[in-house]
This record gives sequence, C-alpha cells and structure tokens, in this order.
Amino acid sequence: MKTLAAFAHSSWGRWLLTLGVFLGLGLTAALMVLWRGLSLTNLTDLVPWGLWITIDLTSIALAGGAFSLCAGVYLLGLKRYAPVARTATFIGLAGYTMALLALFLDIGRPDRFWHALVYWNRHSLLWEVTLCVCLYLTVLLLETAPIVAEWDWLKRRWPVLAQRLAAVHHLAPILAVIGLCLSMLHQSSLGAVYGVLKARPFWFRPDLAALFLLSAVAGGMSLTVLASMLAARLTPRAQVQDELLERVSSFIGWMLALYLYLRFWDALSMTYTYAPGRSEGLSLLTGGTLSFNFWVGEMLLGTLVPLILLLNPKTRKIPLWRMMALALVVGGVAAYRWDTNLSGLLILVSYQPGAPQTLYTMYRPSLVEWMAGLGIAAYGLLLFSLGVRYLKVVSHPQAEASAA
Amino acid sequence: MTHTAFSRRNFIKITGLAAAAAFSLRLSANSQASSPQPGTTRRWAMVIDQRKCLGCGYCVQACRAHNDISPEITWNPVLPAGEVNGQPVFLPRPCMQCEHAPCVEVCPVGASFYRPDGIVAMNYDLCIGCRYCEAACPYAARSFNWKEFTGPNPAVPEWGQPEVARRPRGVPEKCSFCSQRIDRGLSLGLTPGVDDEATPACVVACPTGARAFGDLNDPQSQVSALLRDNPSYRLREDLGTSPRVYYLAPDKEKK
Repeated sequence: MKTLAAFAHSSWGRWLLTLGVFLGLGLTAALMVLWRGLSLTNLTDLVPWGLWITIDLTSIALAGGAFSLCAGVYLLGLKRYAPVARTATFIGLAGYTMALLALFLDIGRPDRFWHALVYWNRHSLLWEVTLCVCLYLTVLLLETAPIVAEWDWLKRRWPVLAQRLAAVHHLAPILAVIGLCLSMLHQSSLGAVYGVLKARPFWFRPDLAALFLLSAVAGGMSLTVLASMLAARLTPRAQVQDELLERVSSFIGWMLALYLYLRFWDALSMTYTYAPGRSEGLSLLTGGTLSFNFWVGEMLLGTLVPLILLLNPKTRKIPLWRMMALALVVGGVAAYRWDTNLSGLLILVSYQPGAPQTLYTMYRPSLVEWMAGLGIAAYGLLLFSLGVRYLKVVSHPQAEASAA
Repeated sequence: MTHTAFSRRNFIKITGLAAAAAFSLRLSANSQASSPQPGTTRRWAMVIDQRKCLGCGYCVQACRAHNDISPEITWNPVLPAGEVNGQPVFLPRPCMQCEHAPCVEVCPVGASFYRPDGIVAMNYDLCIGCRYCEAACPYAARSFNWKEFTGPNPAVPEWGQPEVARRPRGVPEKCSFCSQRIDRGLSLGLTPGVDDEATPACVVACPTGARAFGDLNDPQSQVSALLRDNPSYRLREDLGTSPRVYYLAPDKEKK
C-alpha cells in the first residue's frame, strides 16, 4: 500500500496515471465504436474522412524520422547520428502502430482489416499504401529488435533471446535500404491518395505527393529531436549529445525551406485556375473556415517561425528556442494533414447540369472521435516513455564526448 | 565507408532495381485498370427522359423495396433540377455505371469491380469500409451504412419484394442496375429492357415511361433507338468517366 502511494506521488507514477486516464477514455471510445459503429462519429457520405484519418496521416508523417535518419546513418555513412536514428526508429514504431490503431477504428469493417493484404487491387493507391505500411512495420520491428535486446529484464531472464535480437543489428544497412524504398513510396503516395481523385478538384494535383514526403522528413526528424531533448530534461535515464541534435535541427531548417518553396508554387498554381472547386478550395484556406489553421498553424507558426529559429545559429543553439521551433514544426505537419484532408472534402462540385457549381459541406469531430484520438496519442506517449525508461531509446554516448 | 561491404554503389543498384520493379508493376496495373473486358456482347445502359419525368418518386420506392434499402439511404434519388418554360424539371440519379469508374480504380481490395457486361458491382463480403470510393465518386452515388438496417422495410410489400440480401453495417452501397433482375431474367430467356421481370425496378415502376433500359450493342433496343433519335447528355462528361446513364434534356422550344 505504501509503495503504491509512493509510486502515485513520484513524477513517473503521476505521468503514467495521466496517460492512463486518456488511455481509458480512448479504450471506452473504441469499444463504443466497435459496438455501435461509425454512426457515433460526425462523418457523413460527403465528408467520409475526418479526425482519425488526420491522426493516421500525422502519425505516419511524424514517424518519418526513422527512415530518413536510418538512411543518413547507414547509407550516407553519417555514423555519428546512429543514436539519434535509434530514437527515431523507436518513435517510428510508435507512430506506425498509432496509425494502425486509428485505421482499425476508422474502417467500417475492422474484422476485415487483413483483406487488403489478401485481396489485391494493384491499381489502388490505398492498396499500395497498406502493403507498404505493413512491410515497413515489419522493417521497423526488425530495426527495433536490437533496442529491445537492451532491456535489462530480458537480458537477465532470456539471455539467448536477447542475444538473438541484438544480432539483428547486422541487418541494419539492408533494412535501411528497404525502409527507405518503402517509406519514400508510401509517404508520397499518402499524398497521392488524395491527389489522384478528379472528383475532388482541390486535391487533384500532382505535388501533394512531394509535399507529403518533404513534410514527413521535416516533421519526423523534429519529433525525434524534440522528444530526445525533452526526455533528457525530464529523466536521468536519457542522455543526449546536444551537438548532434543541433546539427539535425539545422537540416530540418533547410527541409522546411524546401517545403515552403514547393508549397508556394503549389498554392500559386491554384490561384491561376478558375475551374470550379479549385479556387474555392484555395479561398477556403486563405479566407474561409480553414484560414486560421492555414495562415497561423501551417504557414506562420508551422513553417516560417521554426524555419527562422532553426536556421539562425543563435536561436538554434539555445535549447528552449530550438525545442519550441521543433514543437511548432510538429504542430504544423498535423495542421497541414488536417487542412489537406478537409480542403478537398468541404467543397463539392455538383454533378447537376445548370445547378450551382460548388457546394459546401460541414464537419466537426464528435466527442467519441476526440476521445479515441486522445487515447491513441496517449498510447504513443506511453510507448515512448516506456522505451526511454526501460530500453534507453534516448542514450547518446557520453564517455567519448568527455574523453575527446 | 570502406569498412562496410554495403557501398553506396550497391545502394544505388538496389534502389534502381526496386524502383524499376515498382514501376513495371504500376504499368501492368494501369493497363488492367482501363477498359473492363472489351469483348463482351452486352453493354447495359439506361436512358432517362427528363421531358417525361414528373418527379413522383415511384422509382425511388420501387428501388427501396426490390433492393431492401434502409430508409436513411437512397441509391437513386430524384433531385429537383430547376425549371424549363415554367415547368419543374427533375434529375433522377442512379449509379452512373461508369465505363471508367473512379470507385473501381481506387478500391484497395477490389470489392468494387466491373462485371463483364459493364455493370459496376460491389462485393459486400470483401469491402473493408475505408470509404475511398465515396471520396472518389463524382456523382455521390455511394451511401455508407453508418448504422445497421434492422426492422421492417417500409417500402415492402407495397412497392415490391426484396430480391437481394441486406448489406451489413460498415460498408458503402450503391445502385447495381438491378443486376439480380437482369441475371435471373436472362437465365429465364427474357430480354432486359423489354420484359419487366428482367428490367431494373425503377424502369418498371415509372408511370410515365421516363426510363428506358437495354443493350447498347443491340441496335434494335429501345435505348439504342432513343439515343439515335434524340440529342442526349451525360453527367460530368468532362471527367472522362463515360457514364452508362444517358439523359434526354427537357425541350426548350415546345410546350
């Protein structure tokens, strides 16, 4: 009883309790949805995708640090960053499983989630995405195996198993190649899932694929660096080499610049069209219901401010500014996914001859959607916290740094 | 870089091969995606004469009964479409049964598919309920089963008897050109579009004969004759979906 009370008063205990509350909310929502169906959501036939798709897209994007940092370490030979890639890999595993949880709730027939693996429609982008995500999750599991092998309990209890898991590390370069291919494919084609739909004129454009990929690299690396820095400040179990994280942050700044450049031309091309649905889509972002999200969430706070903070060496070197900038990038990526999904769905082009050309639809997530969403986020945080505590996923070599 | 057997050159080789493999997969997939089974003998089509449609909604009710559709869902709405010469005009909208159907292209599991006779059909047992088809359909022809349809169907028996199984919760459904009636009729030696038992329920129920159904490959069929003798249009032809539902526009000169 005493130990339990002490646990509840420790910061670790309080953190677990907080996450537990949100996990409970999420689990309740999930059971309600499985029992009563998607009528509990505010989705409609005209806005069939909403908050959960945004969570799915965002968690996959924010998991993008795994493939990009692993590629840097094992293919470009930037070995110094291996400890950062290790953190990114674990965050990647958390992100992809979060995405699968969101999708599991979102599809109307969760009992048939495995159909996409068995029944193939090879010209569906969603089929390609499903297959890539499942294969990449396998890669992530293999890449995480050596991390799990460092679990003290496992080493004591099952030493042989721990050795086997640790040996998977030899596959790292191969896994990095496969991971890079799979991730480039599905990170881009998640954008193309939208981009190929001619029925939704604001989506129907080729550059969504490139923008999704770039923002995933920037956002994924940002979350990795941010989580590492936060962990190092909150627990002695995490140690970072700040110089490594600072260099990665500078790279993120350049990625943001590239993303902003492409995004500018993407938006500009939309202003020179008068095709029904397209200019309305843009004005929805620049002056309509999504405008605050777009200007403040995506552009100002999500891209411009962090771009300046991360490319300016003075602010980048100060951990607080850097962490703020990285958090803003993460928020900006989520805002971009939300806006992309909704800007295409909130505007319909009528098929009626002679009727008004564009129609507006509405969507606001229901309570159950928010509850499930928060639960999924809490699951991700829990997984990462456990990783930091028991698997030392944030542990940059310290001895070398001081010896050198 | 030399201490690892895994060189940059190897990486480029492997990536290149993987990209080439993925690309060729794509190409073969694309060639499959176009034209569904060109050599078939029948090409079902519907012609809807807006000059005759009064907007009574009999077709909607017949559709509901014969396909056992929930009152919250409409496969085949009759929409007001303005006025011509002071007379209201209506637009009945079944599934367009597109020759290049976006829903078939995007379905990840192949639950939406082309039948050999061109009908865009649904395999409700395969569908996972992702709703990509709903996002892709330019005609809003798909309705998702947000709830399970239980209890009696209010359109039965007044408007007919159910001929197909009810769809479960969690899958989108849509008009099938009453393929169950076509298939059964053909097996009995009847002609769809001529014999009522082999013709879509909405066509049979229409009191003014505003709907016609038949085989476009048969020059003698009613639909072929109507399209030969009248100017017609299809919805959103600019999208290139090639719908198999044709409309005869209300006449501006007469009346």
